[in-house]
Amino acid sequence: MNDLPKQKETTLSFEKIKKDILHPMQNHKGLELWIVFLITVISVCGWAYYIQLKDGLGVTGMRDYVSWGLYIANFVFFVAVSLVGMLISSILGLLRIDWITPISRIAEIIAVAFVAVAGLVIVLDMGRPDRVLNVMIHGRFQSPILWDVTVITTYLTVSALLLILPMIPDLAICKKELTKASPIMKKLYNILSLGYINTPAQHKHLHRMIRTLMVLIVPIGLAIHTVTSWLFAATLRNGWDTTIFGPYFVAGAFVAGSAALIIAMYFFRVNYKLQDYITELQFDKMGKLLVAVCLVYLYFNLNEFLVPGYKMKTGDDIHLKELFYGNWAIMFWASQLLGNIIPIILLVNNKFRKPLPIMIISLFVLAGAWFKRYVIVIPTMLHPHLPIQNVPENFVHYYPSAIEISVTVLSFALVLLIITVLSKIFPVVPIVETAESKGIEVKIDA
Amino acid sequence: MKNTMKNIAALFLIFVFSGSMANAQGWTVPASAKKKQNPYEATSKNISSGKKIYNIQCKSCHGDPTMANMLPLAPVAPTDLGAQNFLVQSDGEIFYKVNKGQGAMPAFEKTISDEDKWMVIAFLRSFDKNKKVKQQVAEVKNPEVTDVKLELNVNEEDKTMLAKLSGLTDKGKRVGLQGIEMSFLVKRSFGYLDVSGEDPYTNETGDVQIQFPVDLPGDREGQVNMLVKVTDDAFYGKLEEARVVTLGVPTDPVNPLDERAMWGTRANAPIWIIVTFVGGVLAIWSVIFMVLFQMIKLPKLAKSKD
Ligand code: HEC
Repeated sequence: MNDLPKQKETTLSFEKIKKDILHPMQNHKGLELWIVFLITVISVCGWAYYIQLKDGLGVTGMRDYVSWGLYIANFVFFVAVSLVGMLISSILGLLRIDWITPISRIAEIIAVAFVAVAGLVIVLDMGRPDRVLNVMIHGRFQSPILWDVTVITTYLTVSALLLILPMIPDLAICKKELTKASPIMKKLYNILSLGYINTPAQHKHLHRMIRTLMVLIVPIGLAIHTVTSWLFAATLRNGWDTTIFGPYFVAGAFVAGSAALIIAMYFFRVNYKLQDYITELQFDKMGKLLVAVCLVYLYFNLNEFLVPGYKMKTGDDIHLKELFYGNWAIMFWASQLLGNIIPIILLVNNKFRKPLPIMIISLFVLAGAWFKRYVIVIPTMLHPHLPIQNVPENFVHYYPSAIEISVTVLSFALVLLIITVLSKIFPVVPIVETAESKGIEVKIDA
Repeated sequence: MKNTMKNIAALFLIFVFSGSMANAQGWTVPASAKKKQNPYEATSKNISSGKKIYNIQCKSCHGDPTMANMLPLAPVAPTDLGAQNFLVQSDGEIFYKVNKGQGAMPAFEKTISDEDKWMVIAFLRSFDKNKKVKQQVAEVKNPEVTDVKLELNVNEEDKTMLAKLSGLTDKGKRVGLQGIEMSFLVKRSFGYLDVSGEDPYTNETGDVQIQFPVDLPGDREGQVNMLVKVTDDAFYGKLEEARVVTLGVPTDPVNPLDERAMWGTRANAPIWIIVTFVGGVLAIWSVIFMVLFQMIKLPKLAKSKD
């Protein structure tokens, strides 16, 4: 796998690894400020949600035509990003690709944070969130909505397990080493580490469980985004009524997720001073992976737009013209070019796969992915099948209201807060696995 | 020379005036659209179907052609579509306006098929005094009558229906009314099905007979709700007769919600989808619970040093 010149060998001992990774968790001044900032944002935007709760969904820009707006576009985006957990730690992990060792936990943290908030976004989009349980109580087996709720809950559970189980040896270390931790945290480490002391029997048992979950999450991961695409594809609406929506969404999810992971890698590398662990090799490999998934996604886009664009059948034509050179052209082409094609062109060049440039490119890819979801959801909603005449002006246009935007900002802040908190209480780079992969002997005292 | 100048000036004024008249209503019809011609012939059948569509879609606002009994809408009232100063427009121009709409006039581009719109235009053309080949549809030379009656005779054997339209002349004689269009309608879930056939005009004796379709489903007993009426109430006012007739094919009604289907209630979900869903959930979650159960074993394994 390692076709790059080897990193200059630093002499790493188990002690040094432990210190490097555990130190920033407790001694990072900016982190607390950042958390305070996020909580402030969440409280301010929470006020907007309170207004929505009080006055109903009328305060949003959603009307009879566009009843799935910003929230749903954002939901699809979050689900997409969360799929990176399944891609990195399970698909690549099962293939025993070794460079993912230091970044797999970040991938899993991203997965947990995004899928948890994705579920919440759906609740935020409900006019009567107090009735959310009715989806389960009265859900119809025929409805993709029930499938989606089911599969998201399942993915969240398995992702959380896949975050915690491989971390058990590290948590055993935390229990010993983080002497300054608060009593609650100590208790948490104690419980979650499950008395692990790295006996061969424990090691074998633990890894068997992890392997089981890694296999299990592949179909669940595929299902979560395929079912999300079916929320759209199971209708007859122009633009959604296509057979490739499942794999198209999965491919798009890998793009969004990989970009998000690269951005997170960059910030942890810089802020936690993890240059010895999240090395240029990881960025280079992730860059290649991003190119690969972008190419697959490009291929799907070609199919998704060229084939109906060639036929321009009645109904589809209005939709496609709006995207290609109508009101949605800027957003559509920007997401295709800035979010996919140009990144591919840049990233085939290894100069751009260095940490900073690839992080910036990934920001564009991620933003492009977000706008792409917006373009998938809203233009189709604007063209209902039954032409209704003399509707109020605000049915035929959709602009998210300030409330909607604030609530969406809230969801982003919440994701960042979850990631931050998880990375404050848990080591973001696996300590034991890193040591093992470098052939360093691991010792965990009871 | 002076006269010519005057004439030109007058022509110019007329031109500007008429132009501003047209513009007062603000219709701009592209030249290419104006050139379009009605691809359908002005046969009596087309005109009559045009009239039916007109009565459903346009009459509520525009009233009866030539009668100027339109809805008094403000600021611009609907035009009398039988008036000669409206009919000077080309077919294409009218077609364009009907498609695009303006103000209170709805756009019918998507809601009425092109064919139907051309039928309406054929119908409106039948009022055009300048058309050389004029269809004499509404030209009825019936005597002045009162107490107009509509009688209905149903023959369930051979599935025919006979309607008779008659009125009392001032001499007290009951005579058949000729050349009046009748509509034979069957009630369905939404609106009516027209079974009038090709030529539903009354003959010299005021009779019109239609053949009821042999394959039309009725209720369990084969009953259907018929409505027979004079198509155009402009002649004798509203004249209609509703009746339950046993002319349909006896049919057991199926409620699509009673079967197992994708659109059904949860209780009526297709078996395969219940099995797939429940089976999938059980399979995945049993693995999850298995793993959770295995976790409990982990602390115990710390003691068994092997
Ligand atoms: C909701 C009421 C309404 C209905 C229904 C309606 N119209 Fe109109 N129509 C109007 C009004 C009002 C105008 C005048 C609009 C203007 O000039 O601004 C108009 C104008 C028109 C004109 C242009 C007249 C001109 O002066 O050139 C045509 C042609 C026309 N209607 C045809 C139709 C036909 C055919 C239908 C049925 C398929 C129909 N309309 C149904 C309200 C209606």
